[in-house]
Amino acid sequence: MPSPTGHAAAAPPRASIGALLDRFSYDDDIVRKFLFATVLWGVVGMLVGIVIALQLANPVFNFNTSWLSFGRLRPLHTNAVIFAFAGNAFFTGCYYSTQRLLKARMFSDGLSRFHFWGWQAIIVSAALTLPFGFTQAKEYAELEWPIDIAIAVVWVGFAVNFFGTIAKRRERHIYVAIWFYLASIVTVAILHIFNNLSIPAGAFKSYSIYAGVQDAFMQWWYGHNAVAFFLTTPFLGLMYYFMPKAAEGPVFSYKLSILHFWSLVFMYIWAGPHHLHYTALPEWASTVGMLFSVMLWAPSWGGMINGLLTLRGAWHKVSTDPILKFFVVGITAYGMSTFEGPMLSIKSVNALTHYTDWIIAHVHTGALGWNGFITFGMIYWLLPRLFQTEIFSKKAMEVHFWIGSIGIVLYVVAIYSAGVTQGLMWRAFDETGRLAYPDFIETVLKLMPMYWLRVVGGTLYFVGMLIFGWNILMTWARRPKTYAVPVIEAAPLQGAYVPAHDEGPAPVGLWARFAAVRWHRRWERAPLLFTVLTVLAVVVASLFEIIPTFLIKSNVPTIASVKPYTPLELAGRDIYIAEGCFNCHSQMIRPFRYETERFGEYSKPGESVYDHPFLWGSRRLGPDLAREGGKYPDLWHVRHFENPRNVIAKSIMPAYSHFLRADINFEQIQRRVDVMVMLGVPYGDAVTRAPQLAREQARRIGAAIAEQGGPKDLEGKQIVAIIAYMQRLGQDIKATATASAAGGN
Amino acid sequence: MKLSDIMGHAGLSMYAQVALVLFLAVFIAVIIRTWAPSRRREMQDAAMIPLNDELPASRGQES
Repeated sequence: MPSPTGHAAAAPPRASIGALLDRFSYDDDIVRKFLFATVLWGVVGMLVGIVIALQLANPVFNFNTSWLSFGRLRPLHTNAVIFAFAGNAFFTGCYYSTQRLLKARMFSDGLSRFHFWGWQAIIVSAALTLPFGFTQAKEYAELEWPIDIAIAVVWVGFAVNFFGTIAKRRERHIYVAIWFYLASIVTVAILHIFNNLSIPAGAFKSYSIYAGVQDAFMQWWYGHNAVAFFLTTPFLGLMYYFMPKAAEGPVFSYKLSILHFWSLVFMYIWAGPHHLHYTALPEWASTVGMLFSVMLWAPSWGGMINGLLTLRGAWHKVSTDPILKFFVVGITAYGMSTFEGPMLSIKSVNALTHYTDWIIAHVHTGALGWNGFITFGMIYWLLPRLFQTEIFSKKAMEVHFWIGSIGIVLYVVAIYSAGVTQGLMWRAFDETGRLAYPDFIETVLKLMPMYWLRVVGGTLYFVGMLIFGWNILMTWARRPKTYAVPVIEAAPLQGAYVPAHDEGPAPVGLWARFAAVRWHRRWERAPLLFTVLTVLAVVVASLFEIIPTFLIKSNVPTIASVKPYTPLELAGRDIYIAEGCFNCHSQMIRPFRYETERFGEYSKPGESVYDHPFLWGSRRLGPDLAREGGKYPDLWHVRHFENPRNVIAKSIMPAYSHFLRADINFEQIQRRVDVMVMLGVPYGDAVTRAPQLAREQARRIGAAIAEQGGPKDLEGKQIVAIIAYMQRLGQDIKATATASAAGGN
Repeated sequence: MKLSDIMGHAGLSMYAQVALVLFLAVFIAVIIRTWAPSRRREMQDAAMIPLNDELPASRGQES
């Protein structure tokens, strides 16, 4: 056995051993690239976050433009911080640690660069499409179909590179961090492909192949697992590598880390339906989602404790080492958000919290605390190793840590308060049994102080991010002229497994052989088989949960009076999607008295069978719109879209005056109707004359607006289409009520 | 007759529970395997991997 000699470049040649050892070096250039991308997109994503926080505090920050309005910037913010900031951070740590844990350079430098540039190109294309209203209207899966295909291609490149590296590794045992990366890579691929299945209706327009309940189910199966397999498991992999590195000791319990891994793989995939409690989703699915979410509590906390206890014997270093401080707060934030997640998934708690800002506070504990601080700790640890010089300012690291921590506290405390306030005000009745706050706007205005406090908290965190970026740039500026590239020596893997320790005589008899579990050790050295087992766990769970809603008819009872949207209403719905209205307005009334009193009859599964995609929403910054049709005259909508403050004095909704100026593209409607028909929506004679039908309806609405005393030239403008859609919402079910009442008489 | 009609009448509601039991069984097998006393040394070695990754390989694979 050779003695540890540090980098072999410095070691004298040893003929006897050298003949048996491979000599190679790690590709740190790709790690540096991803590191810079992390910082750049982190700054951009968080800046957009501050802009949208300001927009909620005062609508003047929407600047009365379509492309800077909240509905369009909010998806840009979420996509930028999840896929650009956290994504690049994961790739940074993944490329650094994978090579070292497997004692092999990445399989292909070309694929590494393809992954890097491809991913950055995808981010840029997201930034160029989302503000202009190209969106699929599914949270965290907003990007349109050409970009989705690009994501799949780049991801496959990443996967090939990763599996290739595993195949040519020189370390027999695959360390647990690699398991977490591997599970993330395969699961994200499955989630991405199945949730984004859609039929294009233009270069940047598509309709989900799923509708209503099924679409909602697929979306939140994806949505929750995007949190699980993009923001949790990859970062746990990073934790299991970088935490021992920073603490200079092995992980507290390697066995616990294995248990942590398998528990998450088995349980996470079931948890999605907790995003749809009390909606039109079948109750059994919602209950399954809740049970698995509550079960997740245990492994998540096991993992958190495992991370924190890795510091055993090194706690005294935490007070002086800012890197450890970042890790400790990051892992604690993981503990807090994984305590809160299961709690929020309990139905009775969720009844209060769903649609409120509480959920926003919850995700920011995770994103700012867990993802952010683990990223900062990891990058500070990497800086001297990647740039081969001392970190420029240790003091700046301390300032970053404290300003970031205070920023998180201010943000989440303010938004927790906002969430609870909203939830309680929505359900409050006065002593006469009527809603205590019947005007929705009252429940919004109450939140303004909290919204301003969020701006302060977010800005502090952002300032910390700028300090971080500055410190990195200054460290980079002090790098050597050329980086030293250490040469590593390691023995290649032998074809057959040679146990590191004497395993004793082979067991005799069936039970003895089973109990000695050597058979399983052989399995886990086969990465391909390991991957298949992980995929199996994920896919089997997904199928058992999702397929029944597709195939068992009683899960989505149809309603005879529910008809497809007219061509003009469909065009209006597309405008609703493009503007991102679903980011603030739900279309799903839950069966609670305080909801039906406020918004009308609760929503039924059969009402959204033609909704490709579903637009139930997940948040109520404005009122629910499921029963909006017929509530106000057309002219009210014209005035409201032109400037919401015309009709609701202190509304925070952006103005959509461009609806009154922009023309409807009538010819485009035919193609969209055609795609709907392909998806099985029964369109009747609109199949051949959609533009004509749309023009006729537009003329009627234009005339009605003029008759009510409004502008006379609106019949070709977008405002007419969106009003057609608004006035249709929730009307079909009223038709049933009218028909049955008439029948009864 | 559509596929959903056939599936609707097939009475598959038990399958989810069966899957749950299978998952639990596999999970328990993972726990038993992980905590098997015969694996203690291997686990300790595995935990050290991140800490000696800048060094030449050193765990008896040179034969």
